[in-house]
Amino acid sequence: MIQQDRGTGIVKHPIKKGIIDCDVHVYPKNLDEIRVFMKQPWRDRYRGGGRGYFENPIHGSRLDAKPPSGGSPGSDPDFLREQHIDPNEIEHAVLLPRAFCNMHPDPDFGTAIAAAYNDWLAETWLGKYNLDGIFKGSITIAHQDPLAAAKEIERWADHPHFVQVMTDSGARAPFGQRQYYPIYEACERYGFPFAIHPGTDGMGINSQPSPGYPTHYIEWHTCLSLSFQAHLVSFITEGVFERFPGFKVVLTEGGVSWLPTLMWRLDQEYKALRYEVPWLTKKPSEYLRDHVRISSQPLERPDNDEHLLQILEMMDARHILMFASDYPHWDFDSPTRAFPRLPESLRQRIFIENARELYNL
Amino acid sequence: MGSHRVVKTADLPVGKRQIVYLEGRSIGVFNVNGTYCAIRNSCPHQGAPLCLGTVTGMTLPSLPTHPGEYLYGREGEILRCPWHGWEFDLTNGKSIYDPNKCLVKSYEVTVEPEESPGIETFPVTLEKGWVVVHI
Repeated sequence: MIQQDRGTGIVKHPIKKGIIDCDVHVYPKNLDEIRVFMKQPWRDRYRGGGRGYFENPIHGSRLDAKPPSGGSPGSDPDFLREQHIDPNEIEHAVLLPRAFCNMHPDPDFGTAIAAAYNDWLAETWLGKYNLDGIFKGSITIAHQDPLAAAKEIERWADHPHFVQVMTDSGARAPFGQRQYYPIYEACERYGFPFAIHPGTDGMGINSQPSPGYPTHYIEWHTCLSLSFQAHLVSFITEGVFERFPGFKVVLTEGGVSWLPTLMWRLDQEYKALRYEVPWLTKKPSEYLRDHVRISSQPLERPDNDEHLLQILEMMDARHILMFASDYPHWDFDSPTRAFPRLPESLRQRIFIENARELYNL
Repeated sequence: MGSHRVVKTADLPVGKRQIVYLEGRSIGVFNVNGTYCAIRNSCPHQGAPLCLGTVTGMTLPSLPTHPGEYLYGREGEILRCPWHGWEFDLTNGKSIYDPNKCLVKSYEVTVEPEESPGIETFPVTLEKGWVVVHI
């Protein structure tokens, strides 16, 4: 039975209990909530700052996600629960704060921002807002300084609610390269997957993955997948998954449907060019199930649902795809409306089991 | 399937909206530059509360010979979904990107004089009256 909520006007479709949302964004009520965790000189220097030029020209967050109490979307835990967690019957939400620390030329500044966001998240959304333990957090790191990032990961190793390490996709070099090893070593040692989220591509010190800067937001946003593809090919071909057999990567908000064709291409290249990467012990695509998870939002929706279902089959969605909503951002995917009708066993894998297994929830 | 007095014309000035609940449906009633329109408060895309969106204008189709040139118009006639920003024509519920395949239900709206108990309808320019939505 379809119901429409009288207060919010949102049409509700019946959903099973206990889904896991792998991408929810939370924000401090104000920047002082972050600054209080910073030492000088960073405290005075930190003035926030986003990803720069490419802002959605229409709106960046759901207009109805602005809390009645004031403040920005994603800053009020009671309202976030009321609008998203409760009606969508979310058992766990994996929180990804947006510190944008990876664009700074000064690695110490980036590291200080990352650490302050982690302290803030631990005290608020993973602490006093989280008495029932539904919120799970991401450890923000500044990958400009991999050794410092590894120490930051270690600092949170015993925390009950941090479940992964996260970084922006923006980088100076593809993530498979060995200067990043200290990060992956720490991830593996402490059992944290490494999540990549779009951000800071082409900003500050980071390369832009398209040829030059696109003119429009629609180009930039469509092409978010580019850096994800480059990072994934790098991880596999550089042998990171051989070097760190327990290491896992989560591709968050980088698109979904490109995955099978990219893997076809890489597997085909491997037949001739294995010579160049002899440390690989199997076909590139065969690393995915053990080492890579991909979150669903923003899910592409071709006119023909059957085409998407075929893509899900081709990409082994049953084992690697995890639902994400991206609440409260503008391109939010509704748990009940973003996907076409799925076979129940596949739906359980995508909306619950794959994330439960990855994060030990 | 009835007619419902939803708001007095004086309480719904140009550019304003009223969200009402009629016969089990949430419906947005808008004063679009003096004309009253009503559409279902649910986006056909993912079920967002469409009528909480931004009332605005739109970039009109540019001349094919002039990419990069913006022609802006239809101020007040376009409703943008509060979630994904899809544009809808308030006057008929049709989306801008594909009017034939993506549309939201629109309802007939008339204005009745404030004093009259009858069902006779009057031109929408009436200053004192009721906005009536016909389901």
